[in-house]
Amino acid sequence: MSIAEKSDCHVLVIGSGGAGIRAAVEAKNFGDTIIISKTITGKGGCTVMAEGGFNAVLKDEDSKKTHFEDTMKGGAYLNDDALVETLVSEAPDRIRDLFSWGAVFDMTCENKIAQRPFGGQRFARTCYAGDHTGHEMVMTLLEKLRGSDVSIRDELTVVELLKDGDKVCGAVTCDREGNLEIVKADSVVLATGGAGQVYDTTTNSTAGTGDGYALAYRAGAELIDMEQVQFHPTGAVTPYESRGRLITEAVRGEGGILKNSLGERFMKKYDPVRMELSTRDIVARAIATEVLEGRGTEHGGVWLDVTHLPREKIEERLPVMLNQFMQFGVDIREQPMEVAPTAHHFMGGLRITQNAETTLPNLFAAGEVTGGVHGGNRLGGNALADTQVFGRRAGLSAGRCESYAKSIDAKAVKEIENKIDALYKGTAKISDVRKSMKTVMWNNVGIYRNELDLLVAEREIKKLIDSPLRISSPREISDAVITQNMLLTAKLVIEGALIRRESRGAHTRTDIKQSWNNETSPFGHTFFVRGKCGIELKEDKL
Amino acid sequence: MKVTISRFDPACDSEPHFETYEVTAADKARVLNVLDAVRDNIDAALAYRHCCRGGQCGSCAVRVNGEPVLACMQEASDGDVIEPLDLPRIRDLVTDIAPIIANLAWLNGADEVCSFVSHDDVEDMKPLRECIECFSCISSCPAISASEYKGPTIMCQEQRLNLDPRDKSDRIIEAVEKGLFSCTTCHKCVEVCPKGIETPKKAVEKLRAEAAKRGLSLPAHKALAALIEKTGRSVERKEPTFLERVPDVIEPYGEVRATVGFFVGCMFNARVIQPALDAMEVLKINGVRVIIPKDQVCCGSPLIRTGLSGFVPELSRRNIDAFVKAGVDTVLTICAGCGSTLKNDYKTPFRIVDITEFLCEIGYVKPEKVEGVYTYHDPCHLLRGQGISKQPRELLSAVAERFVDMPARCCGAGGGVKSGQPEEAAKIGAVRAEMVKKTGADYIVTVCPFCEFHLHQVTGLPVKNITTLMLEGYNRNTKVL
Repeated sequence: MSIAEKSDCHVLVIGSGGAGIRAAVEAKNFGDTIIISKTITGKGGCTVMAEGGFNAVLKDEDSKKTHFEDTMKGGAYLNDDALVETLVSEAPDRIRDLFSWGAVFDMTCENKIAQRPFGGQRFARTCYAGDHTGHEMVMTLLEKLRGSDVSIRDELTVVELLKDGDKVCGAVTCDREGNLEIVKADSVVLATGGAGQVYDTTTNSTAGTGDGYALAYRAGAELIDMEQVQFHPTGAVTPYESRGRLITEAVRGEGGILKNSLGERFMKKYDPVRMELSTRDIVARAIATEVLEGRGTEHGGVWLDVTHLPREKIEERLPVMLNQFMQFGVDIREQPMEVAPTAHHFMGGLRITQNAETTLPNLFAAGEVTGGVHGGNRLGGNALADTQVFGRRAGLSAGRCESYAKSIDAKAVKEIENKIDALYKGTAKISDVRKSMKTVMWNNVGIYRNELDLLVAEREIKKLIDSPLRISSPREISDAVITQNMLLTAKLVIEGALIRRESRGAHTRTDIKQSWNNETSPFGHTFFVRGKCGIELKEDKL
Repeated sequence: MKVTISRFDPACDSEPHFETYEVTAADKARVLNVLDAVRDNIDAALAYRHCCRGGQCGSCAVRVNGEPVLACMQEASDGDVIEPLDLPRIRDLVTDIAPIIANLAWLNGADEVCSFVSHDDVEDMKPLRECIECFSCISSCPAISASEYKGPTIMCQEQRLNLDPRDKSDRIIEAVEKGLFSCTTCHKCVEVCPKGIETPKKAVEKLRAEAAKRGLSLPAHKALAALIEKTGRSVERKEPTFLERVPDVIEPYGEVRATVGFFVGCMFNARVIQPALDAMEVLKINGVRVIIPKDQVCCGSPLIRTGLSGFVPELSRRNIDAFVKAGVDTVLTICAGCGSTLKNDYKTPFRIVDITEFLCEIGYVKPEKVEGVYTYHDPCHLLRGQGISKQPRELLSAVAERFVDMPARCCGAGGGVKSGQPEEAAKIGAVRAEMVKKTGADYIVTVCPFCEFHLHQVTGLPVKNITTLMLEGYNRNTKVL
């Protein structure tokens, strides 16, 4: 097995969701840009599946200060102030970019960009295109990308990042047939999204496998807050094989109400003011509690009901939901939806600066693969904004890196070759390993966590990591590599969950009593770098 | 459950082959779950695309039992046959979609300016904006392989850009170059589209209308439009027409069970007259009084399909007036194209009904069997335009000695293609002819004069209208007459 050097470019973008495409579109102004995608470009990221919307302050009555405060409060004050500041300041300009590139978002009859209320926000600032906002964004970005001279490379898995000294200088890729290649680049943008797929039940596409976390971590970049996994309150429950499929927050935004099996509108016990439009962490815990205490449906969910809304409103505002449920024999205009929490978004990830710089030179990152923007809990509508704001910044920063003659470390390449050769001598079946991992993560590292469960999970994941994966043909290399990435990501989530000895944001430790609240917590980010991890302490709050 | 998957590995296979797999699947499992099960438990090298699992990314389109579906949304059934889309194949269920993507236009906007787009613009564009690029439509469009046509989703995008005030390119010229006039308006693309995008109506016909305004219509279409404007008819009179031969009211044999207005359509009025006369006889036998307003004109279908629709409001007004004056509450058609146009493009104060649906509804007199092997060709404008497929088969089964069914596929005659681009119509027809040949039928039966005419040309077989065949059955049954 030997790996050939095939391409050299200025900027290599890895990942083709909203952030990746936005970065590529920006970077190409500075030089040759290649975008690599594990899937068909545009289809893989979670952006294309995002239903609800894009938060941006567009009205005089709203303010960036309010958006900032809502985001910080929603994020349990674990967010980086500077990143949030950037997010709220630039989101309006980024939605304008999309408009100038052809986006077909909903408009009001007064020809203004329509906005709807979303959970945890004091103002209706979520711009949308029906309930397929992310799809609309991706189609717009794809048109922009296809009209540019960015080189688009579909269906390539990145096996490892490459470095020239400290600088990240490219990647090794693997195609469907198992052919390995080296792509050299002056700078690299990681926009690989999250890792919902490490859980049994998730909203994520099958591409949400955390590759970016693993690639960056192995290359020596620092990650933060990996324990902060958002469980979306409303995932599908039935049929079994479709469990976890996202039921958009827009359903509640448009007036949907949650009821337990006794018919009680239970959110009044958990957040009597914001009710169903409370933040996702609170609603998810509320549903989990109702189910745990025996007031759930027979499939372990609760009811989400829109039958009181006018039929036309459901048809116009929630067509994707209507259609999807119809396919499973439920007419949401007449019957409630059965819902339960589902792994959705990783708030943690690569530590970045406002300019999307990671802790490694010439490696930039944007979107869900990064941490710090959303703190401990992401507000609905902030992720799409995040992809555009930081996607652009990552593209700019990567583009501005100087071109140089890169030398690839032959030893590192040899190690990759060895790692892949070893797969043929492995013993563990990839699909079995994935299944075990997903079950452990779901059962032990879910919404409610405690040290004992986490230690068991840590031990189980370690066992899986230590059992060498087996492949029998080069066509399975990608799957094996991705599985290793998932396991490493799972390990980091567990480490973070053990270290963070408090309940904060999406992370709830039932075994710990704390005397502080989110604002007065003495803890900052958890961090992970080169095999070490820890948690930041805020001396002023100790 | 057992499923059969079409496998193909270019490294070692010269031809694709089928493999059958036994897998365990949960209740209501999707086709994608079954593919996962095969990969996880039987063959890790099975190549197929998948991503969002929720019908939103369009990665996983495959053919199940011949029809394109999204594997993540389609419920799996025992015995399913899973094949790739009908596109150039890479391996197993993975096809090469790059050439299609290369044909998709992108917005040519003025950069860095947030140009204005209004509520109305957005509402116009929305129905064309839901495409998830699964390319099911490309896989099943009959026109693509027979012409330079780039396909439904390509037209959908052209029209979306054409409607967008931010776009600066001439999308009409571009659409014409990409084969705008090759679409037969068979609506197969709508049938297979997971989002139900009505490309023929909302993109192709709209683009053709704008092309027409700029004089870009095909010469044959222009000539046809001129004829209709001059005579009210799309077919020239060469002999006494149907309307000239029949009385204003045809009374049935015996008791009157129903009364209908009859809309004859241009082909049956002046080119293939006998089937229309046969239909009158069938209605008489079935106790139907038929009122035939003589001031009826062309329905305008050829104009709407080709985009030269300026005269359509006038035709529509004249037809509606004629039948209102006749005082009927039901108007019967025997031409799939006319029926579909009256049902979908007109706003009529009376009900439109196809003769097959009407006979099945009121209950028909059983004909004697007529010898021979018959197959049925679904006219696109009956099957997809009016949702009628069972009734003609019911009638045919009742009268034919032997009926051999075949799957629906456009014959190539519709959408102005036969008149405008006859070579394309012949190529599409040749594919259909092969399908007919496989059935071993001696006769083709259909309910559309355009299909009838064209199928006879491409197959050389006798093509009978369903009512003609029924009349043959009745003629063998002396008790009826």
